[in-house]
Amino acid sequence: MSGRTQDSRSDTRHDQQGNGRYGSSRWTHCRKRGVDGMLRTDRECEERENTKYSDNRNSSFTTPESTGPVSRCSERRTDWGSQVEDDEMRRGVQRDMQRYRRRILGAEGAHRERKASSGSSGSCDSREGDNMETDETVLLRRQKQINYGKNTLAYDRYIKEVPKHMRQPGVHPKTPNKFRKYSRRSWDQQIKLWKVKLHAWDPPAEEGQDGATDSIDELGLDDIMDIELDFPVLSDPSCAPASVNVHRISVEEEDCSGTPVKVQKTESAAELEMS
Amino acid sequence: MGCEYPTEDYKIQSFDQDTQMLLKTALKDPGSVNLEKVSNIIIDQSLKDQMFSKEAGRICYTIVQAEAKQNNGSVFRRNLLNRLQQEFKNREEMRKCSLQEWVCFVTFICNVFDYLKVNNMPMLALVHPVFDCLMRLAQPDALLNEAEVRIDPPYKEKALFSNYRTDPLTFLLQVDCLVLQLHRIGEQLENANRPRMDELFFQLRDGFLLQEGLGSMSRLLLLELLEFRAGGWSLSSTADKYYYSEIAE
Repeated sequence: MSGRTQDSRSDTRHDQQGNGRYGSSRWTHCRKRGVDGMLRTDRECEERENTKYSDNRNSSFTTPESTGPVSRCSERRTDWGSQVEDDEMRRGVQRDMQRYRRRILGAEGAHRERKASSGSSGSCDSREGDNMETDETVLLRRQKQINYGKNTLAYDRYIKEVPKHMRQPGVHPKTPNKFRKYSRRSWDQQIKLWKVKLHAWDPPAEEGQDGATDSIDELGLDDIMDIELDFPVLSDPSCAPASVNVHRISVEEEDCSGTPVKVQKTESAAELEMS
Repeated sequence: MGCEYPTEDYKIQSFDQDTQMLLKTALKDPGSVNLEKVSNIIIDQSLKDQMFSKEAGRICYTIVQAEAKQNNGSVFRRNLLNRLQQEFKNREEMRKCSLQEWVCFVTFICNVFDYLKVNNMPMLALVHPVFDCLMRLAQPDALLNEAEVRIDPPYKEKALFSNYRTDPLTFLLQVDCLVLQLHRIGEQLENANRPRMDELFFQLRDGFLLQEGLGSMSRLLLLELLEFRAGGWSLSSTADKYYYSEIAE
């Protein structure tokens, strides 16, 4: 019964790969480590693809399914190595949950004390207290997706190059908060966007034929469309309209205090839209 | 956790030079060696060498820690556990071939259970297998196995029962293993699964009370275990004296 969904999924996988044998490499070539823990080479990647569904795959190295109703988390794996890994992840999530609860309670206490003072940064947690995701299956599924994103060279480079205090919301990728209530669709979208952002820190492609092919193939259809549409219309692409807008706003509203509010508004609106 | 042991403590002197080098590298820079090979070396040696199997959990622990710290990996642990599982599946066969190897295996798996923890808790995946092994050691054929095997002198930790007429260097291999393991991990196992510990002790009690032809050594070892658990996994000083003191002749 689940065989059918599995089949159709692997069909689409093949279709995607159809237009070039490096089609799937966008998401796999930067994987840090294989099952053996050694850095992966391109050749290994192809072999891994074949063994992906074998029993000894490592949970954190496998793409969690982002679409479709099949949940791999609830599947009970029988080899001891995997069992202990699952156990470790479950306990990790439980521990995170306790910490998160404590943080929320702390934030709520602080919030009540200085209610009058302006909205503090990071106060968004306080209202989350009773609106928290506690379903273990959901949390484990989300954790797996996060682990998958973190098991990349790009993520390593990112956390090395941009220390935590330098990260700016909206500019730098921020790991989605797995404890907030989101719809499945919203969560998967957040993960997707996060991973796309992380790709900005992909290591420079190695010289050689593989690298060249990769970088061309990695430009998705959307990217190409953007370029083709923007190019003929404006000689100075993208920047020009933005700067015009900014200029107009600053002229119309003399006190520029409105601008940051607007930014925040769009953000929260986007969030509402997603959930 | 900064538990760093000097390399002598890992009892790797019995390996050849190359293997010693490999193990030392695995302890310091696990990412640079083939960890599957390392796990196999450790298990192979454990199955041959009882001395080693008693403390092999410690070297495993250190490699696991080092690997997690270095690249957040768990390749060594995965290979170790899966190989252990393979041996576990094959245990009856192994037991028939060599009692010594079987006892080494039980010693090793218990030692791994003792040393390797997940978030400071025992590995749940090993709880039932460890109980299965100990149950096997508590079955009548194991209790009655009087084929006492000569073991190397360093095996003798405490001068157990040296006041008995028995040769102090010969032990009841299986029952003695059972005693040692329960002393080490009995309490943890009971916390992990009380009903199974009850089951094990029903069997030990029945063995003690009902088994005909039980040797006097086995009787005494079993009695000690019963008292040990009843005393909350410790022996009172008088009991300790009773079971372990060397009485001058």
